[in-house]
Amino acid sequence: MKFKCGQKNLSSAISTIQRAISSRITLPILEGFLIEAKENMLRLVGTDLDLITIQTYIPAEIIEEGSAVIPSRVFGDIIRKLPEADITLELQERFQIDIKCQNTFITIQGLDPDEYPEIEQVEGSKPIQIQQDIFKSMIQQSIFAVASDETRPILTGALVEIQNGSISMICLDGYRLALRKEILPEVYDNISMIVPGKALNEISRILTDDETNVTISVGGKHIIFDIGHTKIISRLLEGEFVNYKQIIPQEYKTRVKLDTLLLHQSIERASLMAQELENNLIKLNVQDDRLTITSNSEIGKIYEEIPIVLEGKNIEIAFNARYMLDVLKVTKDQEICLDFTSNVSPCIIRPIEGEAFCYLVLPVRLYG
Amino acid sequence: MVSCSGPVSEQDRIIFHIDVNSAFLSWEAAYRIKHGETLDLRDIPAVVGGDPSTRHGIVLAKSIPAKKYKIQTGEPLFSAKLKCPNLVVVPPRYSLYIQCSSDMLKILQDYSPIIERFSIDEVFMDFTGMTRHFGPPVEAAYMIKDRIKKELGFTVNIGISCNKLLAKMASELEKPDRVHTIFPDEIPQKMWPLPIGELFMVGRTTAQKLRRKGIFTIGQLAALEPALLRQWFKSYGELIWEFAHGIDNSEVQEYFPMKGLSNSTTISFDVKERDIAHRVLLSLTETLGMRLRKAGKCARLVGVSIKNKYFETCSRQRKFDMATDCTNEIYCKAKELFDELWDGVPIRHLGVRVAELCSNKLLQLSFFDKGTEKYKALDYAVDNIRSKYGWHSIIRSCFLYSPLSPMAGGVPQDDADIEEGGKVWSPFAHD
Repeated sequence: MKFKCGQKNLSSAISTIQRAISSRITLPILEGFLIEAKENMLRLVGTDLDLITIQTYIPAEIIEEGSAVIPSRVFGDIIRKLPEADITLELQERFQIDIKCQNTFITIQGLDPDEYPEIEQVEGSKPIQIQQDIFKSMIQQSIFAVASDETRPILTGALVEIQNGSISMICLDGYRLALRKEILPEVYDNISMIVPGKALNEISRILTDDETNVTISVGGKHIIFDIGHTKIISRLLEGEFVNYKQIIPQEYKTRVKLDTLLLHQSIERASLMAQELENNLIKLNVQDDRLTITSNSEIGKIYEEIPIVLEGKNIEIAFNARYMLDVLKVTKDQEICLDFTSNVSPCIIRPIEGEAFCYLVLPVRLYG
Repeated sequence: MVSCSGPVSEQDRIIFHIDVNSAFLSWEAAYRIKHGETLDLRDIPAVVGGDPSTRHGIVLAKSIPAKKYKIQTGEPLFSAKLKCPNLVVVPPRYSLYIQCSSDMLKILQDYSPIIERFSIDEVFMDFTGMTRHFGPPVEAAYMIKDRIKKELGFTVNIGISCNKLLAKMASELEKPDRVHTIFPDEIPQKMWPLPIGELFMVGRTTAQKLRRKGIFTIGQLAALEPALLRQWFKSYGELIWEFAHGIDNSEVQEYFPMKGLSNSTTISFDVKERDIAHRVLLSLTETLGMRLRKAGKCARLVGVSIKNKYFETCSRQRKFDMATDCTNEIYCKAKELFDELWDGVPIRHLGVRVAELCSNKLLQLSFFDKGTEKYKALDYAVDNIRSKYGWHSIIRSCFLYSPLSPMAGGVPQDDADIEEGGKVWSPFAHD
């Protein structure tokens, strides 16, 4: 194998496929990625052989076809640090790899491509098209609520539902819920699946912020994302997701309309007085035309006041500041609604209009 | 007699370290004499020891005559008896120890408001500025020592210096019933000739390492370059170098914020079955949970430790999403950790530990309530029953007719337990 390609192209392709390579590898060869030179294209594949496989193509001038497995971390570091010029890569005997770029000559040890695991070629059916920037925002605005511990493995994934012309992503960890919804430009068959949070996280980093489409299809137990020359294949989680619709209250006794940024900044300041060990406790008090936020600990105390528009009863309620901040950090709307029923039932955070998102945060109950 | 050569200006701190001589044994002896016994356990070779039939058969405390037979605290009773065939062994009585310890504390409180209970039989007292009320430190120390002896019937050593470390080192000098000082100018004469293992914070392993490097006395340690000690033992090396020079700036602390709680027990037989091990964990957690709730805390971290029949130990801990004070939740987590950890080798000793404490006055609600609030109420009710009617007034049915104690380890339950250790728990055995 021998080829010539641009440093920039190769570097970004490696960054992409490295997202599939786990830091805790099960087989030594999985630390490497597969590179294949064929018909003026390079194909790079990285996998953790469990959750996620990423493959990407870049154009190259192929002098001699062939393939190799290259250690991903060290090779990635080398390529990233090379000057922006053409790189020539040549496979020598015993999988030794020679890299040449301007006045730099590097030799590293590769591995036998025959030992690289066979990547199952899954083909999806009935592809769905959605803009990359929209899909990326859906992930970023819900993924924080995915469960981080394995007590309920199914909750480490996000439920993706395509129903009646819209797509929803639902994440929940027991203490909060995030629901993000978008209307699809076309109507597709109803389908729902649970995509591992880790895979979605990596995908959101690969997606660009433009209006080009990502194609999503489902094949067997896998979901496939096609973005230009890159294909991301993730295993789906099997099992029954929590019936989330049952959790979302349909009624409220208090509705507060307020400025998102004011609330975000106030809670951020209040959380500085809260302590992690004590649940980052902050207290919210809705009273007529204002919301007060207080917090106190050994460090000190803080009192914040925000003007609101209130519909319904006054309420006093306590939260873990982190759960509120996770929501406010990703909310782009200038104004939002907070709905409450009681101080032991969830607070619902919604847009003023529409149903693009719905967040539930359970409060902290205070005794004595 | 004691020399009082220290420069005691009013600005200098005066710290007392009060150490009960052969505490458990003295307390037992004093108790027996008070109740009409004529033989003083302190005058004969005697030890306080656990029950060998439940494998708690080690020497917990020894009399000074027993010490002459080279009997050591912590050694098996069996080997102690070999050293001294007519050794008298008395069982431990924890409630008595707590009582004696508190009685002593009450006396000490007459002399200073700043008192730190360092352990059940050791107390630090800040005597700074008290000279004008009670006279010079050494005289006051004699007065306190004699008052404890007269009123409570046991003897103490009192060490005096300008910091906690030197006061403690002083009280360890000749025993029993003595007052010693080690002021900074007395260090070379009184402390440096002592063997290295006598220095506070130098344990058996470190002492051995130091001896292998040719350091046998505290003075030899003090003469070393601190940089060299740092190289050998990291920051701990600098600490023991400072201690060898009598440097210690710590305050006498009346209150220590609680960082964690633990409970462990040596089981009277090797545990081979998983469900029995689980029950031991439950029994440990019962006691631990009660103590946690009594302290008004919830814990976020649970740890389990196992010592197998080959005396090999291993442990595992995990931080959980939410803090809890529920016996049941801690038990479930401990069980989970145990199942991951245990390799099936018969178990001798089990421990459960909790840390990362926070107030139990708040509870993050969950969509999947595992009945937390109900369990909280249940724990509260059980705690109340136990505090009113005794620890074993209510026990879990899985401990019925079982050789396991329904509430293991921890401090001292009622004395009844200790005497009844190893018996089968049945509802009829406890009227």
